[in-house]
Amino acid sequence: MVAEMTSKERVLAMLNRKQVDRVPVVTGSTMVKEYIEKSGGIWPDYHSNPEMMVNTAGLMHTDAGLDNVVVPFGMFIESHAVNLEVKMGRIDIQPSVRSFFSKPEDVKYDNFLEDKYVKTTLAAIKLAKEKFSDAAVTAFLVAPVTLAGDLMGAENLSVLSIKCLQKEKQMQKMKNWISVALEINRIYARACVEAGADILYYSDASASPNLVMPEFYYEVAVPAEKEIGDFVHSLGCPWELHICGNTTPIVEGMAATGANCLSIEQAVKMSEATKIAGDVPVIGNITPLLMVEGSKEQITEAVRNALDGGAKASMLGCGTPPLSTSDRLKTWVQAVADWSAENL
Amino acid sequence: MDDLPEKVQKLIKELDEAAEDEDLDKIEELTQILLKTGADVEAITLEKLSLLVMEGEEEMTQGWTRVAIQAGLNPFKTLIEGLAKGMSLIGAKYEKGEAFVPQLLIASSAMYGGMDLLNPYLKQEENTASKPLTVVIGTVEGDVHDIGKNIVKTLLSANGFNCVDLGNDVPASRFIEAAKENRATAISMSTLMTTTMAEMPKVIKMLEKEGMRDKLLVMVGGAPITTKYASQIGADASPNDASSAASWLKSSVSNYPSESARWD
Repeated sequence: MVAEMTSKERVLAMLNRKQVDRVPVVTGSTMVKEYIEKSGGIWPDYHSNPEMMVNTAGLMHTDAGLDNVVVPFGMFIESHAVNLEVKMGRIDIQPSVRSFFSKPEDVKYDNFLEDKYVKTTLAAIKLAKEKFSDAAVTAFLVAPVTLAGDLMGAENLSVLSIKCLQKEKQMQKMKNWISVALEINRIYARACVEAGADILYYSDASASPNLVMPEFYYEVAVPAEKEIGDFVHSLGCPWELHICGNTTPIVEGMAATGANCLSIEQAVKMSEATKIAGDVPVIGNITPLLMVEGSKEQITEAVRNALDGGAKASMLGCGTPPLSTSDRLKTWVQAVADWSAENL
Repeated sequence: MDDLPEKVQKLIKELDEAAEDEDLDKIEELTQILLKTGADVEAITLEKLSLLVMEGEEEMTQGWTRVAIQAGLNPFKTLIEGLAKGMSLIGAKYEKGEAFVPQLLIASSAMYGGMDLLNPYLKQEENTASKPLTVVIGTVEGDVHDIGKNIVKTLLSANGFNCVDLGNDVPASRFIEAAKENRATAISMSTLMTTTMAEMPKVIKMLEKEGMRDKLLVMVGGAPITTKYASQIGADASPNDASSAASWLKSSVSNYPSESARWD
């Protein structure tokens, strides 16, 4: 029997492959409309106001009972900071990147840390640490392949991902894009760790077999993710890797990146992923939509299926939908606690 | 093609090389020689085109489309039984899990590369062809992911539909306006994100409010969309992938009332 842990201790223990008092419940994004309104957040100010951001994100911990506090609210910060066009969405729609560069040399990142949203993220990390010292403060960041895709355009990434496997010249082109993305990743990662982040959560959505070839993932994405991951480890911080879609063909590669845990979605069978990943903890894979319209029974069943399949933390298969309801989030946390009481 | 005479096989190989090098004079010269061999140039060219599109070989597809034009093949037959067939072949492989999105994208580029060359010849015969049915297609508001939508559009076009592409991040009202303006037979909406799924029922409710729901079919698709969800929100179908979407719509419109019966 493990003594009662704080949320932060629980999540870090899971990442370090140690025993936990109950299975941690974590999230990757936290822009929940109900919590924005409850905490007095105003769209789009909460994207650039650290206090509003932390007040909203904090309710996922203090009200719903999740073990981490995650900032910022979307995958647009890195792109905005290199002057790509970003549409700010709505209170229930996350911001999205609307433009891209034609060549890697056009990407300028000398003033990356001066961007207002980057500054907000860093200030929000510091504030979250002060206000929620018991929670695992997590920075939500864009991983190298996805960032390269934002820089060159997702469709171009997909096409280049197959062409680079066929021609060396195209491979060099791909490596140039990835190299720029990694430079940006390093600058941002260091700043987040220095601001006090307990964990860096990297989403590499565009490295999914839904968009690129698994061969590309093994040949290009794994070394890139490993490079930024090793850098994060050298700063003394653990990191998590999330990839969307049916990642079954690439779980082995994900496990080889050195990530402290792998986050998968509902398209992947948890028991299969945990078997392939071996010692590397796998987390997930609750259908996100259940937080919007799922019944108590459906949520409980999804939680139990994932944990019975070997998940080391309970997490949604993708970001927390903005229209999630607090009662459903609490049902999710309770279902994890009940499973833990029976099984740990 | 292995059973073709050695001389013809050699010519095909030389044409492949000329197509890859984009050597237009050589393509013309070799096409004339091929025609003189008495081989079935139509069958050879259509098969080459379908395979090259399937493999995403854009330059070679364009080269062999030039062969088709110079050999005087029917442009519609070249489009449907050559270029579009190749797209359907890779679509079917994707459906079976034997191909990935990048392969669909390069096949799509190859098909459009060939279509660009065929277009002037297709237009000449336009008046004699029956009017294609229109599909209004787009990614819903808040979602900028349009790769899946573009692949659906390619396969719908390959199956003879006229696609009015509204792009991505499309407000619900825009789908309604475009359907009305174009007397559409179907609306096809996609989203990759759970966060923007709620835009789909919004469009369907607007169609009902405008009294347009019975005038057209509604297809919804994208990673988080299930058949159950489609039926809950009142859509007609949620095919698993682009290839199934094209087959579903093709079979659904076969007994569907005519455009004038629905819109006049």
